[in-house]
Amino acid sequence: MASRLANWLDERLAWRQVWDAIFLRKVPKINWLFTLGSATLFVGVNQAVTGILLTLYYVPTPDHAYNSVQYITTEVTAGWLIRGLHHWGASALVVLTVLHMLRVIFHGAYKYPREVTWWTGVGLLLIVIGFGFTGYLLPWDQKAYWATTVGTRIAEVTPVIGNWILRIMRGGEELSAVTLARFFGVHIWVLPATVLLLVGAHLYLIIHIGISAVPKREE
Amino acid sequence: MKEEEKKEYLERYEEEKKKGVPFYPNILFKDAIVSLIMFVALLGLAFFVGAPLEERANPADTSYTPRPEWYFLFLFQLLKYFPGRLEVIGAIVLPTIALLLLAALPLLDRSARRHFSSRPLVIAGSSIVVVGIIVLTVLSVVEAPPPAETTQGDQVAALYTENCAPCHGPSISVPMGTNLHSVIALGKHEDMPAWNADLTSDEIDALAGFIQSPGGNQLFTQYCGDCHEVSDLVAGDLLELRRAIDLGAEYDAHDDADISDWSQEITAEQRTSLLNFLAAPDGQRLFALNCSSCHGRSVAYSGDQSDLEVIISQGGLHLDMPPWRDALEASQLDALARYVVDPSSEPGATDLFASYCAACHGERVPQSENFDTAREAIATGGAHELMPVWGEILTSEQLAALVNYTLDAAQGAGIDFGQQLFAQNCASCHGDFGEGGPNPALQGDIIAPISTAEYLTTRDDVTLRAIISQGQPNFGMSPFGSAYGGPLDDDEIDAIVALMRSWEDNPPVEFPPEVVVPPVPLSAEDIYDAVCSQCHGPAGEGLVGPELAGEAFASMYSDQELFAIIDRGRETTAMIAWGEILTSEQIDQLVFFIRGLSESQDTPTPSAASFSNDVVPILQAKCAVCHGSLGGWNADGYENVMTTGDNAPVVIPGDPQESLLAQWLLGTVPQGGLMPPSGMLPQDEIRLILDWIAEGALDN
Amino acid sequence: MEESQDINRRSFMSIATWAIGALISAAFAIPGVAYIIGPALRGREAQEWIRLGSTSKVELNVPTLFKARIQRKTGWIVNEEELAVYVRTDNGRDFVAMSNICTHLGCRVRWISDQDHFFCPCHNAVFDTEGNVASGPPPRALDRFEVKAEDGQLYVLGG
Repeated sequence: MASRLANWLDERLAWRQVWDAIFLRKVPKINWLFTLGSATLFVGVNQAVTGILLTLYYVPTPDHAYNSVQYITTEVTAGWLIRGLHHWGASALVVLTVLHMLRVIFHGAYKYPREVTWWTGVGLLLIVIGFGFTGYLLPWDQKAYWATTVGTRIAEVTPVIGNWILRIMRGGEELSAVTLARFFGVHIWVLPATVLLLVGAHLYLIIHIGISAVPKREE
Repeated sequence: MKEEEKKEYLERYEEEKKKGVPFYPNILFKDAIVSLIMFVALLGLAFFVGAPLEERANPADTSYTPRPEWYFLFLFQLLKYFPGRLEVIGAIVLPTIALLLLAALPLLDRSARRHFSSRPLVIAGSSIVVVGIIVLTVLSVVEAPPPAETTQGDQVAALYTENCAPCHGPSISVPMGTNLHSVIALGKHEDMPAWNADLTSDEIDALAGFIQSPGGNQLFTQYCGDCHEVSDLVAGDLLELRRAIDLGAEYDAHDDADISDWSQEITAEQRTSLLNFLAAPDGQRLFALNCSSCHGRSVAYSGDQSDLEVIISQGGLHLDMPPWRDALEASQLDALARYVVDPSSEPGATDLFASYCAACHGERVPQSENFDTAREAIATGGAHELMPVWGEILTSEQLAALVNYTLDAAQGAGIDFGQQLFAQNCASCHGDFGEGGPNPALQGDIIAPISTAEYLTTRDDVTLRAIISQGQPNFGMSPFGSAYGGPLDDDEIDAIVALMRSWEDNPPVEFPPEVVVPPVPLSAEDIYDAVCSQCHGPAGEGLVGPELAGEAFASMYSDQELFAIIDRGRETTAMIAWGEILTSEQIDQLVFFIRGLSESQDTPTPSAASFSNDVVPILQAKCAVCHGSLGGWNADGYENVMTTGDNAPVVIPGDPQESLLAQWLLGTVPQGGLMPPSGMLPQDEIRLILDWIAEGALDN
Repeated sequence: MEESQDINRRSFMSIATWAIGALISAAFAIPGVAYIIGPALRGREAQEWIRLGSTSKVELNVPTLFKARIQRKTGWIVNEEELAVYVRTDNGRDFVAMSNICTHLGCRVRWISDQDHFFCPCHNAVFDTEGNVASGPPPRALDRFEVKAEDGQLYVLGG
């Protein structure tokens, strides 16, 4: 029955071809360091799932942000778990992204023919940092407020356009409801959309070109 | 990379692939295992550490040390090495260069060599960056430890340092029997402001405890502060506090807490000081919290101090009922006992109850669970009102304070609190004794007396309380209860109600004051005495209303203007339009009479009020607390007094009527309101300031 | 022989991969679903005894109006509501607590002491001292609260 359904679908979707291309492709023998990329992807998915769940209760206004986070943490069933996973996932994502990148540098895997893969990766690193920076403000606690105050002020140091950048980031001179709303918007719409695009490209290139082999001494 | 090198690489890669394994399941298996490990690690962190949440963001808190999330710490630390104008290097230039290098890596490192041993430059470079980031992060953590510990400080000591220490120094010694709570709440001596607008009742209690027993506060921080907020425990139920302190780990609510045996760890003296901190030895407060629930607010006690001490410390049974078995027959006792258990079962006992019990018990039938105890109680009589054995609960300081207060209060001091509040909040409209007067909020309306027996007997406490706390907006009375935005908390309202109740037995006013007496007396002097003097003083020296006798007033208005003011009143002040009550002939006579006042009143030639000697002390004491550092009008120094303020100038030399300062002090500003908010200044102080303005507001 | 070992190894790995995948998915799904439906399953907060005031304030045979402020929490927002209750007693021991909300359309009824009944001004409904409908449109008697007196204080069960 199951195989008949599979065949029926294959006639229409050609999924076996896709499956063969993605999963049954041959890959050079590699070591455990090569799992760092997948681990990063996994934590990214973790962030997406828990992040979507968090938006069910979170309200991005100064009036409610703190209370709703507190509500999630203390009152919603398993809320502490979802928020804990998201919080620690963020740190893990930064660590894993950097470690993954160091592995690529160590193996010279950014070289021909994988330069574009590397550039998408650098873009992803920037986006992870952006996620960290925007997500940090959302609980609207003391740490969030003041760290963001300082963080945006650092951007102001930029010559010539510094103040302009600060005002765009904060949505005005002061850290306010506007700042919170736009950080939230960037955190859950702008950055995820970009991530989707770049991760798609990154994965396509990995499958298309193939994963790099462990370089031998004479290489 | 040359073309042949590229080709060579692709060929070698094809070979590697052929020797390799399929992605599924070989590689995916590894990925799955690593993902599982990551997931378990995240679960563990979420479960054992959790996601932290600090206090709600407080933009006003300038003492908070901001720290970014740990993965930005290295950047944060980097900035420390680029002070001043160099900051741009650490903040922008270096990170940008690092990012550009990272992005350009494939373009910079173009050799075909991939093994790390053949690429020392790239490996060394990136190692240096990684080590640098780690070192900077560690340095940042070491140099500025997380602020978490510093926020968990001693809350009450901080409160004291912030609010009391500037004037009182590091500690205050108060005489035994000071009612500290009300001193702090209402202010007392000249320079001490009323704190009840800025501090919560709990904070005041905590401060009182801290002042009386700083050691207790330390003990609290050490032993209790980890789990308990000060505000939850101060001025709490003494019986429970004592039990919790005595029992320590054995105390029921401490079941889940990890608490060592306090009877070993804390000495008896320390326990006393801890208890003195949690419930300051402040008789008035102790009485209000612990006694008034049974004894009511008004304190009645006749007897000497030692008796009172015995009663309070021994508690127990102290209301006597006669043993009724001497007076009643057994059947009557039975009937009464049944009646007490269930009145409907023994309708016949109603008469018995009425004749023997109602004298003390009133119409209410005391409640008893079962027949036997009821019969026993009735038959043997004796003491049957239970009071806790306070001697085992109160510390000796608390006991002494309570005894002192009860004795003082029994002599009328208990009403003092209510009296004080009434004078501050109510008397300006209702008169000092609730005798009423013209309604300043409603033109032409007269506030009826609220201290007559008739008024008081027809309103119960609930009604009075509701009127005070919710106000009577229809009649221009604003709400006074803190629940409705007013200044008084429930205790204070109760105190005012208690004061009003004290009038009931002995009303200071039996009839409405003759504010409006039809038929109107004919002579201007009578009218002045009966009506005008209420506000302007019997000799026109000014009370609530402005002074009429001085030269300043005499020169301010022509006779016509004076007539017009009396005839039409002054809007938004207590000066109503008397033209509706008095004939124009009478008003004419009044004008003449008032003119006469200023001529005959040459005597009080205001001895040239001096700014530095007379005005400054008043401003310092009553205004500068708020009008100074807070912006707006600044009461400090002649220059500031004359020139600052949102509606500057507030002083118009020679014209008290138009000077905002005077209007605020008299409560005659058009938008309504009075300064200081705690209540009008004493008349002589207002006079001084008015005189000073009238004489040209000189800097003398 | 070696080949069959290899096949065994592979099938083990694929089964293990799927198992781990299922495990992680379940570990997301179960708390996830609980998280979503959690607040929906939570019933109204338990009723509790609300203190009205001293029993001594209830006059004999005259329904006396008590008001108590209660806090109702929805999500993370706390609203303060006022609960108004008429309390009546014949003997100072047994108390009856009635809501002051007319059972017709929810107007507030008031006690008219001259006429010894409750009157609802919206549609001229009249309730007797026990709260039973005397005349007018209401479908049933005034709602009652469970009431108790302890230490001279009146409590009603509500929330």
